[in-house]
Amino acid sequence: MERRGFIKKGLSWLAYIFGAAALAYPVFLFMSFRKIRKKTVVFHPDEQLAAANFKEGIYLIKKGTDFNALSARCTHLGCTLNFDAVSQQFKCPCHGSLFAISGKWVSGPARKDLMSIPVETEANGDMEVEFEI
Amino acid sequence: MSDTGKIINKISSYMPRLGLSALILCLASGIVLVFYYRPMGNVFQNVEEITTLVPYGWFFRQLHYGSGQLFTILMLLHTLDHFLRKRYRIYLFKEWVLLIFSLCLCFFVLFTGFVLKGDKEGFFAGQIFMNILEAIPFIGGSVSKLFIVPGDSFFFLPYLYHCFFLPILIIYLIRDHIREWFPNQRFLLIGTAGLFLYAIFVRPAIDIPPEASVAMIQGPWFFLGVQTLLKFLPVLLAGLIIPGLFVGCLLILPVIKTDSPTRDHRGRIAYVGENGLHYLLVVALCFYGFLTLRAAIWGP
Repeated sequence: MERRGFIKKGLSWLAYIFGAAALAYPVFLFMSFRKIRKKTVVFHPDEQLAAANFKEGIYLIKKGTDFNALSARCTHLGCTLNFDAVSQQFKCPCHGSLFAISGKWVSGPARKDLMSIPVETEANGDMEVEFEI
Repeated sequence: MSDTGKIINKISSYMPRLGLSALILCLASGIVLVFYYRPMGNVFQNVEEITTLVPYGWFFRQLHYGSGQLFTILMLLHTLDHFLRKRYRIYLFKEWVLLIFSLCLCFFVLFTGFVLKGDKEGFFAGQIFMNILEAIPFIGGSVSKLFIVPGDSFFFLPYLYHCFFLPILIIYLIRDHIREWFPNQRFLLIGTAGLFLYAIFVRPAIDIPPEASVAMIQGPWFFLGVQTLLKFLPVLLAGLIIPGLFVGCLLILPVIKTDSPTRDHRGRIAYVGENGLHYLLVVALCFYGFLTLRAAIWGP
């Protein structure tokens, strides 16, 4: 192929690639867009009695008179954790990661601690936990 | 040709024909299920209603499950047969790539079907898939949203892929390949009879409610090996790089094909390269089979 032909072909390919990318980019942005939504989980007084209370993906942990909330999502690949009342640990049913009741990673492939979420106490004794989904 | 060779050749030719019959039944039963299945709201309850409340729902669900599994297993065996007997040599590179890609898509259809059960296993499988995609550097967050999104519409995108995009794409990609086998009434009849008997006599497995607490969750059978790898290796490596490398090596086989070692240096390198890669893939397959078996018996 002559140099002029090669350059011409190369330029036309470049034009195709840029054209396709210019079309694909808005399509990709549209398809991958997701509005960040917030979810609120309310723990009524009768749902705050155990050491670890589970509701809709949140564990409300009772420590004396204090409460803190932890996300029940395993930090490895997002499976919902089970709480073992005997060992006082959270266990992932998918890949076996273990977390302490404080949310600290103990063992398994997860490596990161559980996400801690602020808790708000209402006048009627309800505990509100708001988090992004 | 020896008697054993003749039998193997016969089985080789039966597999894709029977597989095609399974595909027809799978599509037909899927069309029936679409009338009741809804990917929004309480999906688990919807699936349980299909199984226990809707007339013959249990039959169509089991027929759809059995035919889908049979089609993919037969396609896998058909590909393995070509791979082990080095029959990828008869294909052009482009043809081979399209066929392997179609097989991967078949497994993806099975996977989305597993997610769409809406039970605990399905939900976790979807969640894990989403998090594996999110582990891709820079673009992971955006790419994962093309396949699955958390929240109320968690099952909607897998549903679109399972019912529309993937079946259409698979049939489009294999249209030339299946033309010579289609239609074959004898195999369709045998396949239909066998799968009807399966759907009537084998009850669907018990689904785990999403809110139930279970000690161990298993993914679909073909991902048990990956589930085990995810326990010991980083997410990106176990979930994407290793499976991707395997498929990549399988794809390039026809590029380096050689019939016999030639005397020149390049010919010998190509011969060693093809055989080396072939045996490497056989070892990798055996190892994956071992991981799957181990996970199926003792848990992942």
